[in-house]
Amino acid sequence: MNCFPLFLTLLAAGLGLLSSCTDVVPVDLPEPEPQLAVEGNITDQPGPYTIRLTKTGAYFTEQELPAVRGAELTLTDNEGTTETLRETAPGVYQTSRIQGKIGNQYTLTIKTEGEEYRAATEIKRVPRIDGLAQQVKTNEPGWDDGYYALYNGPELPGVGDYYRFKVFINGQLQNDPDDLIVRDDALVDGNYIGSIELNGDPLQVGDSVRVQLLSLPRDYYYFLNEMYTQINNVGLFSAPPANVRSNIVNVNAKGPKAVGYFAGTAMRSAHLTIQP
Amino acid sequence: MKNTIQWGLAAGLLLTATPSWSQTVPAGQVTLSGTLRDAVTNEPLVGASVFVKALGLGTNTDETGAYSLPLPKGTHTITYQIIGYEPQQVTLTLSGDATRSVKLGAQTQQTQEVVIAGVRAEDNVKKAEMGVNRLDMKTVKLMPALLGEVDVVRSIQLLPGVTTVGEGASGFNVRGGAVDQNLILMDEIPVYNVSHLFGFFSAFNPDAVQDMTLYKGGIPARYGGRLASLLDVKMRDGRQAERLTVNGGIGLISSRLSVEAPLIKDRTSVALSARRSYGDLFLKLIPEQRKNQAYFYDLNLKVNHRFSARDQLTLTGYRGRDVFNFADVFQNDWGNMGASARWTHQFTPRLVGSATAVVGQYDYGLGVPKGTQAFEWTSNIRNYTGKADFSYQLNAQNTLSAGVSSTRYQFEPATVKPLNAESIFVALKVDNQQAGEYAAYIDNEQTLSPRLQVQYGLRVSAFDFLGRGTAISDYVGAEGQRKDPTNTRIAKDGAVVKRYANLEPRASLRFTLTETSSLKASYNRTAQYIHLISNTTAASPLDVWSPSTNNIRPERGDQVAVGYFRNFQDNAYEASVEVFGKRMDNQIDYVNGANTLLNKDLEGELLYGRGRAYGAEFFVKKNQGALTGWVSYTLSRSERQINGINADAWYPNKYDKTHNLNVVAMYALSPRLTLSGNFAYGTGVATTFPNARFVYEGLVVPVVSGDRRNNYRVPAYHRLDFGATLKNRVRPDRRWRSEWVFSVYNVYSRRNAYGIYFRQNEDDPRKTEAVRLSVFGSVIPSVSYNFNF
Repeated sequence: MNCFPLFLTLLAAGLGLLSSCTDVVPVDLPEPEPQLAVEGNITDQPGPYTIRLTKTGAYFTEQELPAVRGAELTLTDNEGTTETLRETAPGVYQTSRIQGKIGNQYTLTIKTEGEEYRAATEIKRVPRIDGLAQQVKTNEPGWDDGYYALYNGPELPGVGDYYRFKVFINGQLQNDPDDLIVRDDALVDGNYIGSIELNGDPLQVGDSVRVQLLSLPRDYYYFLNEMYTQINNVGLFSAPPANVRSNIVNVNAKGPKAVGYFAGTAMRSAHLTIQP
Repeated sequence: MKNTIQWGLAAGLLLTATPSWSQTVPAGQVTLSGTLRDAVTNEPLVGASVFVKALGLGTNTDETGAYSLPLPKGTHTITYQIIGYEPQQVTLTLSGDATRSVKLGAQTQQTQEVVIAGVRAEDNVKKAEMGVNRLDMKTVKLMPALLGEVDVVRSIQLLPGVTTVGEGASGFNVRGGAVDQNLILMDEIPVYNVSHLFGFFSAFNPDAVQDMTLYKGGIPARYGGRLASLLDVKMRDGRQAERLTVNGGIGLISSRLSVEAPLIKDRTSVALSARRSYGDLFLKLIPEQRKNQAYFYDLNLKVNHRFSARDQLTLTGYRGRDVFNFADVFQNDWGNMGASARWTHQFTPRLVGSATAVVGQYDYGLGVPKGTQAFEWTSNIRNYTGKADFSYQLNAQNTLSAGVSSTRYQFEPATVKPLNAESIFVALKVDNQQAGEYAAYIDNEQTLSPRLQVQYGLRVSAFDFLGRGTAISDYVGAEGQRKDPTNTRIAKDGAVVKRYANLEPRASLRFTLTETSSLKASYNRTAQYIHLISNTTAASPLDVWSPSTNNIRPERGDQVAVGYFRNFQDNAYEASVEVFGKRMDNQIDYVNGANTLLNKDLEGELLYGRGRAYGAEFFVKKNQGALTGWVSYTLSRSERQINGINADAWYPNKYDKTHNLNVVAMYALSPRLTLSGNFAYGTGVATTFPNARFVYEGLVVPVVSGDRRNNYRVPAYHRLDFGATLKNRVRPDRRWRSEWVFSVYNVYSRRNAYGIYFRQNEDDPRKTEAVRLSVFGSVIPSVSYNFNF
């Protein structure tokens, strides 16, 4: 059980005695019909590229989701390259030849259990990162004292670019539900993105920070944005729980539906070690 | 002539009602007029009843305490009465028009405490209106209040047919309607957001409010523009004050001060009220919090001036605001403001007209003042309204009312500006919009026989969606999915992009069964042209209003209701059972994951469908004696059907509550001490539970099998509150009066679930869990101190 001050704002309003509570409660849920779940990318970086196939599981199960083995996966691009993926571990399928390129379009075909699914995606342009800088904050309202890594780089002119920022601290991807950061460029189009903090908790001298900037196709941006909403959905102004979109489409419209996403991304990265 | 007009109305020929009014008075009829006042304070008694029991004829006094009653020549016994006062009977012989003003003496202190002002005891049974609840601030102030903040909106939620998505949520839901389907008027000023602090407290300063009336059905033809209800809040204007009176209060959250005074006796009066929360003032004592600000305030001003017995001017002004500043990191503020001016003119004792001008606004701003993320984001809606209303007492059987209104709306959905050269942000604007809403209505209240009274009317409304250099698009794409704009063009300032019109018939009927019981029935159609675009559980202060456009069509609702009304023990108890059914068109919903803010292509994310609601409301109220209060129980259902959601099948609305029980009791233990209690019970709100999951890049994503919506209920809601009001002893030589108000909210400390949420465990991401959020997880006591002199 966790009782915390309702809002920072309420606290500031002197309403400290108003406290809201969250606690874990038992809920009975019906057993779901397993669906195909797809997770995979193609990037502009060297391969191999990996697609993972599992079945969805009951929400409260702690077991690993069952792998989907023996599926037939084919990846094609708009240059006429076609490659059949090899199952390298249960439910893990990898390419060996194909190379992702910015501007190319890709179609993944999955044949399993008598159903055929298709997923289309593309690799969009990505701007360079000029580098990371470090900053010491002391007595700054809203920030704990310590070191912060700052992002610096241009955004490309023209609205319609979508990004995900992945931050690794000491090699570890920051991957709590609220670390899923996706942005569109409508509010920053063509501007220089300068001095934006990449970490919320302060860093120590010697910590290493790596940022990956991924360009996203629009529909994939919507997928990640919807996913962010659904996995961070608590509170007065929560959104209605709803399934996130998927680009895995069953060729037979009446057949079982799949979940997950096969996405194309271009990636740039930068690195910094905090100095004294 | 008389018959011509009535039949003309019935046939919908509205313009036949224009001939010279005087011709329609039958020979042998005379008019008795005058004013009712309080015998001691001389204040006018508003809404008092004046009637001749033997003839079944009667009227109510208007806002100035004046009445005019057409009667046949002859000798009549006229009864003057209003709750809280000793009734008076006067026998008069009338041979021509006559004037008779009467002063009524107040009843004893105890019964006066809990009166419903301006209402006669038998109105529940005798009036044609139904689906109407009145609350007087004296009652509301005695009810236990959360943190001692007397709250108009929370008290409304205790009435039959009214629900909320959860405590702390802004607004209320009437008979299965959404929060934006309530027309909330503060002396004709529309209040777009009824809350302070996100929804925890109401935007109405209790010291500034006189009384309020909630119309859940049978909405008078005079009002329109919202589907579900009208909440008419009347503000205090100082006419009640015999001399300069100061009211004030000190509570845990806010303090209040108001002044009421007759500036010129019987001519000009003024009431000025202010309220401010002050928790943040204590923050200033803490060094590291010194730069933070978080408070709300509101200011109310009302001036009433009588130029003559026939002309009166009323001015009302309001401004309320919430302000949050976290040093130089983040700022956010929002609020309503508005003003109205009404001039009332009595042409003849039977014909009264008024002209009203209204300005209303809701706006918010947020931003970061400094640094590379410096920006300012603003949004507002504004209306300019003019209206003229006439009420004409045709004869003893018919009271006609008619009027016209015109509103110009201006919408600035979102404007974002970078605040310095280093800012990463660019300027972004969602195009401004404007619109015109026009209406004309005519309505007749007709007594067909002493047993049968009918009220019927027609409202004709029209709406123009106008350009303001606005980009207009059509949207194409799959049903139920986000759609893309196409055929985009610019609509010039004032250009009509789309016009809509609706006929809104309204009718109600009362059939008297016995002296203390009646049957009533009503039908009304309502149209709504502006919509709050809100995709969150509770409406947020950042939600934006949108006009009907070429894509968003006006919402339309039809409601039928029947009811049985009965009073007991000489009107000490009033009781009613009402059954209603409702159908709604063009209800707005959202694609999964819709982005409703700062979105130029918002209309591509909206879905449209049907709504329906039905239910039965049981209500018993005790108005007199030491114990007063009410019990209300509602059994109801509210659903919608939207193509693209829930496999196109009907599903319950978030605010659907099958059972809703409220008990409100006040007990005057002694002249000094009044105890009160509330108990509320309601079915848990409808919500969506996932039952499956998959993992995407290390994060657990929930899946709802079959894409169902609102397939579960959170546990039932119930809560008990206690309150006590202790008046301090009065020293006969002093004018100072004071009282202590104690309240205990959520007495047995129930953790009512606002919602149940599903997430991966913070420490072990492989584990998943269901989490209950309780907005108030404990008992909340409070004390406040009120005074007046």
